[in-house]
Amino acid sequence: MTERYERLCAAVSKALETPERGTALQRCMQRGRDSRGRAIAVLPGGEAFRAEVKAIKDRCIERQDELVAKFTACAQARGAHVYFAENGAAAIDYVLQLARKRGAATIAKSKSLTTEEIEINDPLIEAGLRVIETDLGELIIQLVHERPYHLVFPAVHKLTAEVAAIFAKALDKEVSPDIPSIMKVVRAYLRPIFLDADIGMTGANIGVAENGSIVIETNEGNGRLVSTIGNCHVCVMGIEKIVDTIDEALTLVLAHPVSSSGQLPTTYVTWMAGRADMGDAGVPRETHIVLLDNGRKAMRQDPGLREALNCIRCGACMNICTTYGVVGGHTFGHIYPGPIGIPWTAAVHGLDKAAAFAPLCISCGLCKEICPAEIDLPMLIAEVKHRVAKRDGYHRADRTMMSAERFAQTGSTLAPFANRALQNRTARRIMAKTLGIDADRVLPAFSRKTFKQLFTGHTSSVENPLRKVALFIDVYANFNRPDIGMAAVECLEAAGCEVLLPEQHASGYPYIGYGDLDRAREAAAFNVARLAPLARTGCDIVAIEPTAAYCLRHAYPALLGHSRKSLEVAERSFEIFRYLLDHEPEFEHVGGKTDRSGRRYGFHVSCHQRPMGSGREAVEWLRHRGARVEVIETGTCCGMGGTFGLKAGPLGQGLSKAAGLGLCKKFKESGVEAIVSESSVCAIQLREGTGLPVLHPVELLLPAQG
Amino acid sequence: MNDTALESFTKRYESLGGHVHAAGNVESAAQAVLEIVRERSGTRVAMAGLEEHLAAAFGRVLAESGVEVLREPFASIKLPHGIDECQVGITGAAFGIAQSGTLAEVATNDAVRLVSGLPRAHIGVVKASEIVERFEDAAPRLRAIFNEHSGACTVSFISGPSRTGDIELILTMGVHGPEAAYVIVLDDAERRVPQ
Ligand code: SF4
Ligand code: SF4
Repeated sequence: MTERYERLCAAVSKALETPERGTALQRCMQRGRDSRGRAIAVLPGGEAFRAEVKAIKDRCIERQDELVAKFTACAQARGAHVYFAENGAAAIDYVLQLARKRGAATIAKSKSLTTEEIEINDPLIEAGLRVIETDLGELIIQLVHERPYHLVFPAVHKLTAEVAAIFAKALDKEVSPDIPSIMKVVRAYLRPIFLDADIGMTGANIGVAENGSIVIETNEGNGRLVSTIGNCHVCVMGIEKIVDTIDEALTLVLAHPVSSSGQLPTTYVTWMAGRADMGDAGVPRETHIVLLDNGRKAMRQDPGLREALNCIRCGACMNICTTYGVVGGHTFGHIYPGPIGIPWTAAVHGLDKAAAFAPLCISCGLCKEICPAEIDLPMLIAEVKHRVAKRDGYHRADRTMMSAERFAQTGSTLAPFANRALQNRTARRIMAKTLGIDADRVLPAFSRKTFKQLFTGHTSSVENPLRKVALFIDVYANFNRPDIGMAAVECLEAAGCEVLLPEQHASGYPYIGYGDLDRAREAAAFNVARLAPLARTGCDIVAIEPTAAYCLRHAYPALLGHSRKSLEVAERSFEIFRYLLDHEPEFEHVGGKTDRSGRRYGFHVSCHQRPMGSGREAVEWLRHRGARVEVIETGTCCGMGGTFGLKAGPLGQGLSKAAGLGLCKKFKESGVEAIVSESSVCAIQLREGTGLPVLHPVELLLPAQG
Repeated sequence: MNDTALESFTKRYESLGGHVHAAGNVESAAQAVLEIVRERSGTRVAMAGLEEHLAAAFGRVLAESGVEVLREPFASIKLPHGIDECQVGITGAAFGIAQSGTLAEVATNDAVRLVSGLPRAHIGVVKASEIVERFEDAAPRLRAIFNEHSGACTVSFISGPSRTGDIELILTMGVHGPEAAYVIVLDDAERRVPQ
């Protein structure tokens, strides 16, 4: 475990040495997200297609055996040969034999991740075949013997000048470093390959059982040429790609490019059933569809990973993942890169390969929000981390971060002493060594009195309460900033709510982040058991830490198998400003107490706020009451990733700070005087990265407090 | 189809970098073809998957202007190389989709796909009455096509010229497929509205 961790640390350090590469990648990711956003803005129904995609994938995976049989029968009826390959070796063998039988010399390939998955090129080349990738991005990485950096844009890490140099070297001619010149060279180079290839090999984005057709989506047009020209065509396709109907396929044909590049649909979508003749030469023409299992059937039986089969390979998740943006797809990936790469690698290439990069996920959850199939990627990734840890143990720093609650409890009990220790270089160096907490991070001081103690001594003045609210407080407000907790209480009481503080543990989100799902479930079960009876009697549950609200609403149900109790709690749980806004008409009289000094505030939307609405509820609430607040964002995570950024070393503060650079720069350039954020950990990152004060929005609500 | 479908098809297809010509009748469609072929300095043109009367009209106009015209079943040339030597390929489309600016081309012989895939310019011909509005409206059309052709059959959706974003995600036209894409929308209204 340690050795693997060290290797990953070394890779991250190396990536941190060439920040230009990361910045270029992040620019491309941003371009991808922006185009997606523009496409969705004009798409009828907006984001609604995501639920539809999820429903299609859920039901087709459920009916997989039946659909594989139906697809096979229909494809055969149209003249295709269908071969079921249990694993990569069987698929490779089939193609090799086919090539031999046909006396083939050249195979022209169109982009296919599935053939990358089984690494088919090498054995074909070793057998004496010429194998040429024709997708521009794939061709570039083939020429430099690399692996795809990104699912959809495999050569996204190569800048124009580098690409020109690659072709200049490979083709031994001068290539000017501009895209049109490169295109000319590529077209001329590939043309004879298209025309004379003996075998055309493609993947398929979809298999349609209804008519036995495969669907190939491309923009460049290489997929069309490769599937048309050679007299023999081979398609290697994972069995999870099969849907039942044309209607279902059409939904996916839109969802895929909308999510990755904002197109609707790709320039070419080929619906190919059987193999047609070409002209009237009378030469027999064949198509072979290799249906690949390679671990997919087992995945389907594995509740911890099954949802990954819903992936439609759009690549959107790698357009939003902050740490991927810093280290890139070679470090953050095996063959399948990015967020989805973690569960897929675990399933098809083994746990070890996945373990090599799984710790790069900082559990921000943004990939889940952009995924067109609504895949709960952070939970799948937590499952992979969990399996790795069960086998190999946890890294020291991860253990520390998972004990944050106990740590804070001790810190608070020993407050003056502990706070002095936090300021002391020697003590911090020892903490870095023994606990893995970075020595330079400015940690929030502990409060001697916890929120729980303060609240117990507090008497409510609300007489005829409008609503009853159970406050979910979590670690930070309890042990470090009870004043923020009390400000929330006063605000809710001013609105006419009766506030209760039921028995509770911390949210336990770090257990998900670092992969201890047993303890995550314990925490979830504990809190749900205490909150459910309250929810049932009409009490609302309000959290002031976005991650805590996210746990109550999303993570707990997922952890507890969507039990009735967990759903009852989820339904009545709210982040505080969402709650205030929802009841604004009733709560009107809490207005007027906002900071109206005219000071300019910049708001940071924490990742876990995004799935619970716009994430900007606090901004709306504060603005309505006269505060000058503007949202400043890059659309990704600040890089803190909960407590990830507190860890010492490159796989902690190093990566975290690099990931946060862009956002911090934006804040600094914006000219705001202070930052407002609801997340206590984002606050640490932003304070350090910008030098600006960071406040919780409830502090603006009642500026007299605290 | 109604005017708005044609309008939104045109808008969408042009936003993808393609060009749309509305033709009131076969003769003006043939004139539009000729203009495009001239614009592309075409001396050799391949046609496939067109209704016979269209192919005949286009062939006549092109031949009169000295353009060599290759027609199915392409017995006189070597496939696929002969098609690659054409500057322009013309194919018929079964229907169009306004929402996405898409043509749907049907091939039960793959020479059709060569004609729309190999030359640097492609002209697709679709009847105005065959343009459906929304993407999902394509489902019944596709189903009918695959039912009609129970053997090998390929439907190609084509939405504008070939493009790539593989270098730095910067949009660039014309990699392997046509760099120029034209659609001729043939107004067949007179068939629908009897005088
Ligand atoms: S949860 Fe965040 S850090 Fe983890 S893979 Fe998804 S986007 Fe990346
Ligand atoms: S996991 Fe979702 S976002 Fe990522 S590639 Fe698959 S479908 Fe796209």
